[in-house]
Amino acid sequence: MRIFSESHKTVFVVDHCPYMAESCRQHVEFDMLVKNRTPGIIPLAPISKSLWTCSVESSMEYCRIMYDIFPFKKLVNFIVSDSGAHVLNSWTQEDQNLQELMAALATVGPPNPRADPECCSILHGLVAAVETLCKITEYQHEARTLLMENAERVGNRGRIICITNAKSDSHVRMLEDCVQETIHEHNKLAANSDHLMQIQKCELVLIHTYPVGEDSLVSDRPKKELSPVLTSEVHSVRAGRHLATKLNVLVQQHFDLASTTITNIPMKEEQHANTSANYDVELLHHKDAHVDFLRSGDTHSGGSSREGPFKETVTLKWCTPRTNSIELHYCTGAYRISPVDVNSRPSSCLTNFLLNGRSVLLEQPRKSGSKVISHMLSSHGGEIFLHVLSSSRSILEDPPSISEGCGGRVTDYRITDFGEFMRENRLTPFLDPRYKMDASLEIPLERAKDQLEKHTRYWPMIISQTTIFNMQAVVPLASVIVKESLTEEDVLNCQKTIYNLVDMERKNDPLPISTVGTRGKGPKRDEQYRIMWNELETLVRAHVSNSEKHQRVLECLMACRSKPPEEEERKKRGRKREDREDKSEQAAKEHGPEKPRPDSDRLKGILERGKEELAEAEVIKDSPDSPEPPNKKPLVEMDETPHMEKSKGPMSLLSLWSNRINTANSRKHQEFAGRLNSVNNRAELYQHLKEENGEEVGLTGGPRTSIPFLKCSHSPVVNRMETTENGKASRQ
Amino acid sequence: MDDYDKTCLESALVGVCNIVQQEWGGAIPCQVVLVTDGCLGIGRGSLRHSLATQNQRSESNRFPLPFPFPSKLYVMCMANLEELQSTDSLECLERLIDLNNGEGQIFTIDGPLCLKNVQSMFGKLIDLAYTPFHAVVKCGHLTADVQVFPRPEPFVTDEEIDPIPKVINTDLEIVGFIDIADISSPPVLSRHLVLPIALNKEGDEVGTGITDDNEDENSANQIAGKIPNFCVLLHGSLKVEGMVAIVQLGPEWHGMLYSQADSKKKSNLMMSLFEPGPEPLPWLGKMAQLGPISDAKENPYGEDDNKSPFPLQPKNKRSYAQNVTVWIKPSGLQTDVQKILRNARKLPEKTQTFYKELNRLRKAALAFGFLDLLKGVADMLERECTLLPDTAHPDAAFQLTHAAQQLKLASTGTSEYAAYDHNITPLHTDFSGSSTERM
Repeated sequence: MRIFSESHKTVFVVDHCPYMAESCRQHVEFDMLVKNRTPGIIPLAPISKSLWTCSVESSMEYCRIMYDIFPFKKLVNFIVSDSGAHVLNSWTQEDQNLQELMAALATVGPPNPRADPECCSILHGLVAAVETLCKITEYQHEARTLLMENAERVGNRGRIICITNAKSDSHVRMLEDCVQETIHEHNKLAANSDHLMQIQKCELVLIHTYPVGEDSLVSDRPKKELSPVLTSEVHSVRAGRHLATKLNVLVQQHFDLASTTITNIPMKEEQHANTSANYDVELLHHKDAHVDFLRSGDTHSGGSSREGPFKETVTLKWCTPRTNSIELHYCTGAYRISPVDVNSRPSSCLTNFLLNGRSVLLEQPRKSGSKVISHMLSSHGGEIFLHVLSSSRSILEDPPSISEGCGGRVTDYRITDFGEFMRENRLTPFLDPRYKMDASLEIPLERAKDQLEKHTRYWPMIISQTTIFNMQAVVPLASVIVKESLTEEDVLNCQKTIYNLVDMERKNDPLPISTVGTRGKGPKRDEQYRIMWNELETLVRAHVSNSEKHQRVLECLMACRSKPPEEEERKKRGRKREDREDKSEQAAKEHGPEKPRPDSDRLKGILERGKEELAEAEVIKDSPDSPEPPNKKPLVEMDETPHMEKSKGPMSLLSLWSNRINTANSRKHQEFAGRLNSVNNRAELYQHLKEENGEEVGLTGGPRTSIPFLKCSHSPVVNRMETTENGKASRQ
Repeated sequence: MDDYDKTCLESALVGVCNIVQQEWGGAIPCQVVLVTDGCLGIGRGSLRHSLATQNQRSESNRFPLPFPFPSKLYVMCMANLEELQSTDSLECLERLIDLNNGEGQIFTIDGPLCLKNVQSMFGKLIDLAYTPFHAVVKCGHLTADVQVFPRPEPFVTDEEIDPIPKVINTDLEIVGFIDIADISSPPVLSRHLVLPIALNKEGDEVGTGITDDNEDENSANQIAGKIPNFCVLLHGSLKVEGMVAIVQLGPEWHGMLYSQADSKKKSNLMMSLFEPGPEPLPWLGKMAQLGPISDAKENPYGEDDNKSPFPLQPKNKRSYAQNVTVWIKPSGLQTDVQKILRNARKLPEKTQTFYKELNRLRKAALAFGFLDLLKGVADMLERECTLLPDTAHPDAAFQLTHAAQQLKLASTGTSEYAAYDHNITPLHTDFSGSSTERM
């Protein structure tokens, strides 16, 4: 396939000289109604079209078919020639439609029979046609820009269809010579220009048309190469419907079209609504839709070759659609169609049926008598396509079922949840360009990928691998935490979810913990909650970098999920259980520190953290959404800070100042246990688990950790506070 | 299949050609392996004779190459290079590959003719033509190693401006999901089975998880079957939801993953490749412009999942959807004139339709320079006016006369009445108010 073949650019040059005003001498009866119904009234005399009218309507029909089948990348430039050339449109895509051309033709009007024939010539139009072929189209421009140093690969070819009334064969030769010469000249001009292109190949199609009943003064001549750049052919055609037929044949040749006749279309009769008759409708489309017939030679053409080889049509039988079920057919090609007789009743019945959203399967009658569904007609957004369905044997016969392969034995996939996930990650077109913060163009598809990345940061595939996604209570949090940014309402909902879970834990509600892989009854209730909290933390942590509000959700979670007193007991029982920890626990570890640190390590960590925080002058943020602390007393930690600093030697003015600010600010709130104990802003979880006999060091703040939990579980009242950058909190 | 019992490569190739086409049609790529001892036959029907005459064929006995289906012709010579070079055999065989548009290759034996060397030659063919295509299906952080079968073929979009064949990525990245009804049986270049595979740490394939009956209970395949695999999850949900996953195959190249049922019990994850390009399916628009629904102001699928942003409507309607005027056949013109006349007889009830049809005809007549028609229809309307029955509404006569007069003005082709965008509007009469009430 080549986009810049001869059919990329078509120039119509239509003669507008006085002679074209002559009648084609083919009469049209237009006063039909009277004839049939009203006796005694003499119908009006039939009228006849001029050569001009015949030429224009035939060329419009050529364009109609072309635009229907190739709405893009196949362009027409329409030129009318009399005492000068009138170029009616440009190569731009906006100019490429019938309405534009019709409006432009109306402004030209029919030729003036009284104009001086000496002043008028088709030559003006032919010269303008060559000129216009040198002009670059937006597609050529785009391709050249894209190919950069390979820009020369973009071809410039075209076709000139000239409809005129020539005087003789030598007149025709004169026209050809003129085109030849003009191309030569314009190619020289184009060679020195950036916005013009040299013509590599030009096909000149000269159509001599004359009134019916006259003898042609010009003889037909098949395509002949006049020079390496120019080929020319001459068609001598009577006006009227003969001319229209010729252009119909040409449009099929020029754009590699083929014809399919849909047969046996049942249609209700206008008069007798209960009866239906069968009709045939002929459609044109790219010939590749017949590729299987052409190759296998199994053409079942209607074969009525009254108009030469191009009148061949392949007959396909209509199969009345039984169901409206939506199926994904294996389709090897889809080609736009254009009805040959667009306004006839059968044609418009068929196209309206399709435009209303129904699809029709088409059956190919085979020589052997067997029947095969080979095509489908279907409309997509007001355009009708002929789909080619694969009817030959598949090479993927009898493949192993997916249930027999990897992961096929697993039975508890979260199919429904992933279905929900897919629906949330459906695509939609964004036609207007959007811009990112840095003013660069935002590509919607990249946004879609980003969203998938976010939504899958923590996504257990099977039911027995997750607790939180089996809990209705977690849904409000899980559904919003994956978002790029949260609203205040989202944060509030997340917090409510967390409080709700705390409440559940207090009431000792059962959890949907999987017992797969564990012996006996599975973990105890407190262990279940520990697993659940761990998993929830993994989920929230995976999104903590999205925004400050995500951070707040994590803070709330960390404050609320602190260990209940029973945990101390459990710890005493030793570490046996840890060997059988749930997989979600392992996942959680990916986000947290790898190994438990000994106490001395932890102390060092705290000191380091203090140093870093001070150096960055990063003020400890409040946890405005966590439940109100039991009392507003300044924290123990505050008294320790100076002590920590003493060990660090000389201090900079900045550290002194930040320290002061920090101290002042931190009096206003209670710091998180998690943050206080964090190393590089990472808090180690379940430190006590690893400790022998739950021996708590004062520094880890044993009393602080449990209090918020107890407090909030009894009074889940939420105080919403806004944090400002310097850590000041204001209550709303 | 007939016996091809004489060295007559042409008839063998013709036989292959027929069998493949009957069985697989003309679209499925096929590898043809020709095993020969390097002797090309003698006399009529020998390859030398075939090649010498292949330019003098008629349509009915065309030389079978190039094959009328996408193909690769592999010639396996049971002879070593030196033997072949001593005659013109190699040359003739190379001509075969050339005739198949260069699609294929010749293999010869290294060293003496023995079982080991023959095996090694076929080993090379297997490496070249039958290596499985391994890829990774990705959906954000969810991934699965897969084998794609058959191997996706390289594709050339436009041999002139982009002659380098495009090959698909080994990372098959899912970019989003679309309902089957919206993707609507799209045309595809090829379709492929996507089989999840288990890889060991070195990246070697351990197995597809498919168990053979005679295999050990604890075989690698058994274990692989029990490890959750993203493909199985994806397949299950695609099947249940009736959706497809859009997958990025390369720059400006996309495809879709979907569930394909072979029978009621068996179904599989399949991948189809769209044609490379920014807009493979007009009804989806440009692929790069597809984004997540969460970025839209309101959910384009509706709160109850009752609508869809697809299909996209093209800017310009096609001729069959816009009521174009075509008068190439007399019947086209007659129908249009009759419509006007029928409405004319039902004035003033049909005033709007009457003028709509009148203006449609007027516009087309002006564009086609068919001014005689305007005069003719004007005459016809004037005659209708004289034929109006006594019971006719008085407005009918006014409108008919007005319309006829306007058409006559347009038929001069010069006045402002002949402007294409000018529309004939109904005459305001004392009756016209009441007529609209009656409509």
